[in-house]
Amino acid sequence: MRKLLTGNEAVVEGIIEAGVEVVSGYPGTPSTEVILTLLPLVKELGIHIEWSVNEKVAAEIAAGAAWAGKRALTTMKMSGVNVAADSLASIAYSGCTGGLVIFVADDPGAHAGMPEQDSRYYAKSLVIPMLDLASQQECLDYVKLALEISEKIGGPIFLRSTTEVSHTASNIETGKKLKLEKKEAHFERNIVKYTKASSAWCMAQHQEALNRLALALKIADNYVTESGIKVNKTHFEPDSPYGVIYAGAVEGNFREALKIYQLKISWLKIGMVHPLPEERIKEFLAKVDRVLILEELDPIIEKEVFRLASPGDGEKKVKILGKLDHLLPLTGNYSFRQVKGALEVLLDTQLEVDPDPQLLQRAKELEVKRPTSFCVGCPHRGTYFALNQAIKNLKYKKGEIIITGDIGCTILGMNQPFESCWTEVAMGASIGIAQGFKWAGIKKPVVATIGDSTFFHAGIPPLINAVYQQVPLTVIILDNGWTAMTGFEENPGTIPLKEVSRTRVDIAEVCRGCGVKKVNTIDPYRPEEAIKAIMESLEYPEVSVIVSRRECALQAKRREIRLPQRKVDIEKCTGCRICLNTLACPAMVFHPKEENNKPYMEITADCFGCGLCAFTCPTGAIEVIKDGE
Amino acid sequence: MENNFYLIGVGGQGVISLGQILADYALKKGERVKFFKEVGMAQRGGPAHSEVRMGEVFGSRIPPLSADLVVVMELAEGLKTLELVKPGGMVILNKKKIYPLDLMVHPEKYPKEAEIAYLFEEAGAKLFWIDAGEIANEVGLPLAENIVLLGVITYLASLDKEIILTVLKENIPYEVEKNMAAFDRGYKIAEENKAEKEKGEA
Repeated sequence: MRKLLTGNEAVVEGIIEAGVEVVSGYPGTPSTEVILTLLPLVKELGIHIEWSVNEKVAAEIAAGAAWAGKRALTTMKMSGVNVAADSLASIAYSGCTGGLVIFVADDPGAHAGMPEQDSRYYAKSLVIPMLDLASQQECLDYVKLALEISEKIGGPIFLRSTTEVSHTASNIETGKKLKLEKKEAHFERNIVKYTKASSAWCMAQHQEALNRLALALKIADNYVTESGIKVNKTHFEPDSPYGVIYAGAVEGNFREALKIYQLKISWLKIGMVHPLPEERIKEFLAKVDRVLILEELDPIIEKEVFRLASPGDGEKKVKILGKLDHLLPLTGNYSFRQVKGALEVLLDTQLEVDPDPQLLQRAKELEVKRPTSFCVGCPHRGTYFALNQAIKNLKYKKGEIIITGDIGCTILGMNQPFESCWTEVAMGASIGIAQGFKWAGIKKPVVATIGDSTFFHAGIPPLINAVYQQVPLTVIILDNGWTAMTGFEENPGTIPLKEVSRTRVDIAEVCRGCGVKKVNTIDPYRPEEAIKAIMESLEYPEVSVIVSRRECALQAKRREIRLPQRKVDIEKCTGCRICLNTLACPAMVFHPKEENNKPYMEITADCFGCGLCAFTCPTGAIEVIKDGE
Repeated sequence: MENNFYLIGVGGQGVISLGQILADYALKKGERVKFFKEVGMAQRGGPAHSEVRMGEVFGSRIPPLSADLVVVMELAEGLKTLELVKPGGMVILNKKKIYPLDLMVHPEKYPKEAEIAYLFEEAGAKLFWIDAGEIANEVGLPLAENIVLLGVITYLASLDKEIILTVLKENIPYEVEKNMAAFDRGYKIAEENKAEKEKGEA
């Protein structure tokens, strides 16, 4: 059957067809949609699917299931591999009995922010084979293949996607659901394989992991999937001295260029990027004189090609083009134009005229910048507003108080008009970095802001550290009840939905349990009280926590929570724009002075009713819309 | 036959759902399709775009000078598509202007319609102007701005109207009458515009 599926949705189809029984993960663009799509099917499928508290826990859960003989898959973005890597290293040494797939989505071009890091390095350092996805059909086919390889070699395998593959939809040929033998969960005690407390055992495990790599390549190198995709594929064009070696998402633009310019060149596609098919690469190099390597981010394949191409006595020398000669950049995802430009160098010819650069330059100058802000009704707006006010009330200048920010929606406090956050590092890092500032000798208060999911993920250990080391610090946890930025996933603080069984974990109680003596809960829709509480916290001599609690407005709206909306009394409004300049609410529209009109503000029907604007208005022009108006 | 649609606007305008309808249409027609959607900070007032490529295509992104039809839902966002327009290709310019904070106070800084038109014409594009927001208001469904444009696209790109309407109903099963009205208005305006032009040329 043909379906229109994104790469991530195709992964879901693969999970279902392959009979995976445990799926775990932590949200992160561009990987999130796998579990997001799968979760509503949980009852129908009768399998376990969860958003875990972080990627490390998610990986451990999948590994545990695979150790008990089940097929398991865990999902994360590239940053998540950093978190999971500690456990993955040991899991890879031990291997597994059931199929274990680690799905990781990289983000060349940093479309969602965060370091562009190339997770292919992890395949090398953790001794885990890796398949690199180049198309949506592969997303489906390779989930099945990855599980097959994993079970045959007896170890975990990486399945790596990138934004472009994950977020593009195309027609997919879906397959049949595999008929797997129903197995009872069973785990055999074997401390030589599953523990690490002996150097001899560790080294033996290391060697076994290396052996598994070789076996994985043997299976993959000539593998043809159900829909006819060859994992590693060599195409020789007779009489062409030119060749391209590529892997991953660049396939689309490369094949597009072959089609548009009707190029006849040899190419080698690498679907398994670790370990590399060295023999296949050598055969390819023997038949070409000039070769271009197309791979996004780091020149991992290119460096290996250099090694494999180094000529022996009397052998020919192949010219290698790619990143090491600065033809292509180390950053970003390759545009069509970049691929075309590289092919022009390979072939030493001009393929086509580019668009008029002067025209593009002028258009660029005219572009309208759209800084992202908080959504209408976002509780974070109230928290940052109160924080800025508290700092002002304590007679500190704006820009005197360091505020470390964290991952997620809460970081938008760095933008206008709040300009609160100074740093963004990694999940939970706001609380650790803030302590460093104090030990460096920053005398004025230091504030860390962090979201609820981020706090659960990795914010608890640094908070315990601050308590133990007695660091005076204000930690503001912006608890909107959802992992909102990535698409509103649940986390341990989410109000349990009717259809699922969960135990909600109260963040304020967690902080008290960690030993924080001063924990205050505020409502960001009540600025007066919020400002007062933050002022107290800033002056408190030890670590203190403010839990700013109010549900994400978008989610509250979906759950049909309605608050009284606001409107502007145009007679009273002077058009001073204080509301707009301090809050930048997208429901506000400013009408500049026109011939017969004075300037005034308008609050549109998008208003959620947080009421902050009324608090900022010096003339009392903002009032509540009464029923029936 | 290859057909490349580039849709651009600001979060909330329905750029992605419009792309989804076109992609589902292609699937229904039995054509190969690639549908790329930018899922970024659109929800938070940022730009949004989607690309639908029908036919024998490989890449998910439209190469420069290859967009057969560009749909600009928010006027200034259209400036980002100049390098994509195929010479002789069609650009639908919706008159909607969405101001970020600083432009709300200084609306005079927003690029002029005439300059945007000039740049597209220099790039060799044929232009089609419409105020889809106003028409959507008139049919009583402001959210249907994208559906008005769907009507225009269907006519201008000679898509199979019956199939488009089927997909539209499948994708947006609520407010069917108003959405149909929005679609019809867009379709008719495009039709009349062509008739007028032909009259003018005759």
